[in-house]
Amino acid sequence: MVSEKKIESEMLPVRVKFSKKGNLMYISHLDLAKTMQRIMVRADIDIWYSEGFNPQPKIVFAVPLPVGVESDCELLDIRINTPMDLNEIKNRISKNFPDEMKVLDVYVPELKFKYLAYIDYTIKLNSPKITEQTANDVENLFKNECNVTKITKSGNEKVVNLCEFINSLKAEYSNGKIIISTVLCADGERYLNPELLIEAIKKNLNILISDTTDEYYSILRNKMLNSDLTEFK
Amino acid sequence: MQNISTILKSVQKPGRYTGGEFGQIVKDKSKMKLRVAFCFPDTYEIGMSNLGVRILYGALNQLDDVWCERVYAPWPDMEEQMRKNNIPLFALESKDSVKDFDIMAISLQYELCYTTAVNMIDLAGLPIYARDRDENMPIILGGGPCAYNAEPVADFFDIFSIGEGEEALPELAKLYMQMKENGTYTKSAFLREASHLKGFYVPSLYNVEYNDDGTIKLFEPKYEDVPKKVEKRVVEDLNTSYFPLKPIMPYIETVHDRIMLETFRGCIRGCRFCQAGMVFRPVREKSAEVLNKQAKAIYENTGYTEISLTSLSISDYSCLHEATDMLLEWTNPKKVNLSLPSLRADSFTKELMRKVSSIRSSGLTFAPEAGTQRLRDAINKNLYEEDLMNAVRLAFKGGKSQVKLYFMNGLPTETYEDIEGISTLAKRVVDEFYKMPIRPKKPVSVTVSVSCFVPKPHTPFQWEPQNSLEELRSKQMFLAEKITDKKIRYNWHEAKVSRLEAVFSKGDRKLSKAIAEAVKRGMKFDAWDEYFSYDNWMDVFATCGIDPDFYATRRMSYDEILPWDVIDIGVNKSFLISESKKAYENATTPNCKEKCSGCGANKLGKELTWCPKRK
Repeated sequence: MVSEKKIESEMLPVRVKFSKKGNLMYISHLDLAKTMQRIMVRADIDIWYSEGFNPQPKIVFAVPLPVGVESDCELLDIRINTPMDLNEIKNRISKNFPDEMKVLDVYVPELKFKYLAYIDYTIKLNSPKITEQTANDVENLFKNECNVTKITKSGNEKVVNLCEFINSLKAEYSNGKIIISTVLCADGERYLNPELLIEAIKKNLNILISDTTDEYYSILRNKMLNSDLTEFK
Repeated sequence: MQNISTILKSVQKPGRYTGGEFGQIVKDKSKMKLRVAFCFPDTYEIGMSNLGVRILYGALNQLDDVWCERVYAPWPDMEEQMRKNNIPLFALESKDSVKDFDIMAISLQYELCYTTAVNMIDLAGLPIYARDRDENMPIILGGGPCAYNAEPVADFFDIFSIGEGEEALPELAKLYMQMKENGTYTKSAFLREASHLKGFYVPSLYNVEYNDDGTIKLFEPKYEDVPKKVEKRVVEDLNTSYFPLKPIMPYIETVHDRIMLETFRGCIRGCRFCQAGMVFRPVREKSAEVLNKQAKAIYENTGYTEISLTSLSISDYSCLHEATDMLLEWTNPKKVNLSLPSLRADSFTKELMRKVSSIRSSGLTFAPEAGTQRLRDAINKNLYEEDLMNAVRLAFKGGKSQVKLYFMNGLPTETYEDIEGISTLAKRVVDEFYKMPIRPKKPVSVTVSVSCFVPKPHTPFQWEPQNSLEELRSKQMFLAEKITDKKIRYNWHEAKVSRLEAVFSKGDRKLSKAIAEAVKRGMKFDAWDEYFSYDNWMDVFATCGIDPDFYATRRMSYDEILPWDVIDIGVNKSFLISESKKAYENATTPNCKEKCSGCGANKLGKELTWCPKRK
């Protein structure tokens, strides 16, 4: 399976677009990465291995998906040693995917992940406390300034204004639910975890705060976007 | 199907409850004649690592009309959410309630899972006592090593599978479907019929009476057609029996996150304290060819990069060299590691060390079990001090500097001289290191781990009392004083845990009320330090009028009716008695390959070279 060593640039980059929905949203990014490595071994695709004492198949993800968030547009890159038809790769990977995840596309990437700018999300809120007015409340909350305290990687607390990371946000009332369509920053420097919007909603609108099953929310990643809001490929 | 998604947001490790792994089996439930919920009374990470459960899951799902699904015990944070939101115990594949299944099978791997197991019945929304469950509720089936003496939980189960289940459980499933189809099914008719199948024990079909002193006066079937003794099931031929080649791939890390390949069942050794060494007799091996073929198939179906060859004592596998040679031919180029747990010190060779990657790690583990030759002979360990010294010299020469040694305290016939022997032996290992002309630069470290002897049913030591807590403690402290070398690290097991294990492993049906009381008080996960409470258990026993010492520290006589006498493991009681007597003479018994000692297990299994079938 492992052929002669090639340098990275000689190997063909391949991008896999897949969905991760339902209960699988609770599988963490690290566990998903390990799962993907095993999928590549099972699919018997001759991909680039890391060097060193314990070589691992090298897989790069666009933006880690937070636990509890569903996605229709996850992207990962591999590099292959031996040229292989893209459809064949798609078939082999699909066959080895768990039933509850789907391979949506396999293609040669147009842009590197560092050019990814935004991600489009749909957030749904369910609560008996929701009224038609709640839609306005949500939009107003994220209009100009909405500060939340975030714990940074170094463990310090930092107050951030979420509005600086929101490209657009629309909230709609429908059948006792609020449906939020929003585009959030996702470039290397400025990435916003959509859970922070939920935190702000909990704190300011007094909904979703009980831990019973009649109050809940869902977050879905719809699309990865370029800086001009066209689809990132 | 229950919507658990919303509650998963508020629990730790939600990946335990999602299901949806690659390799899980999903069937069309409208076409099923029998649905089995296979429950494991511990966490997902532990349950998913159990090879036996994987085999049974696959074996049952081979039947077209049967859908077997998995259930693991929810951690208390998840249980709290489930109870608060009225979500009963559910199966991972369909998320359907276990109470709506036909059979709820519970694997009993160790005694301290009993409260968790019974709590799972309660969490399913079912009455915990078998007698309180009606016709429409699932049959609750128990199995696993604890079924060899399931008396402490007998009142909670309808039926037990005794011995190896991959052929027995499909037979039971077929009987169930047949009786449902021809209209003869009632719960009691099914159980009565099932008691005629080989390897099934229906506790409600037996009368048990007690003497005034608490010992058993009478233990016999209520009806003539019910067998007096239930003979365990064995699979005769491991080369042709079912083995899962497409195991489920967990997302979250489990305890054994690798390919587990069974090499053989049973053990030739016959250590007198060891239950596995008796109940899994006779030894049956898988051929090197079959093993290699299975390994390749599982590798292709999983993508795992580590293969572990499992058995009770891998160096006794007669095809070990042939099999490892065949495996290494393809595992090396594919960067797949091979590991061999359960190595005996007397068979640790240079060749094995070179072959096996687990040995590339910095340490090695051996289990001399006792500190002196006298006591090692009494327990029939058949290991000499020189074997151990050869093994550690080889390890040191190969660049290892860490050695772990496992021992037991409280073994029958043990004296303080034997305990001091543990420290002498460990010291000798340290000295061997410094005697080596060429040795690793890293300083030597010897870890001595000492557990407490728990007398186990169906062993030559089944009649033995466990040491009292005070005795065990003073022995542990005595050894702590004797170990003065700073290169030796000393760990010991909590004696209170071993005490509770002894009570339940030698227990009878009277213990069920203590388990029910403990479950009522919310006690569970007793094998977990954060939940184990000896004081709570003593309080439960006191409330229920049970004296734990009656089970743990009382010497039973050879002619006493034992609670587990109803189970026939193949090994004769006369053999166990003779082994028990030999222990007191410090006399050893040869292993099965050297000489057949006539234990009786050869009535089960096929003709084997070193286990001749009685003609």
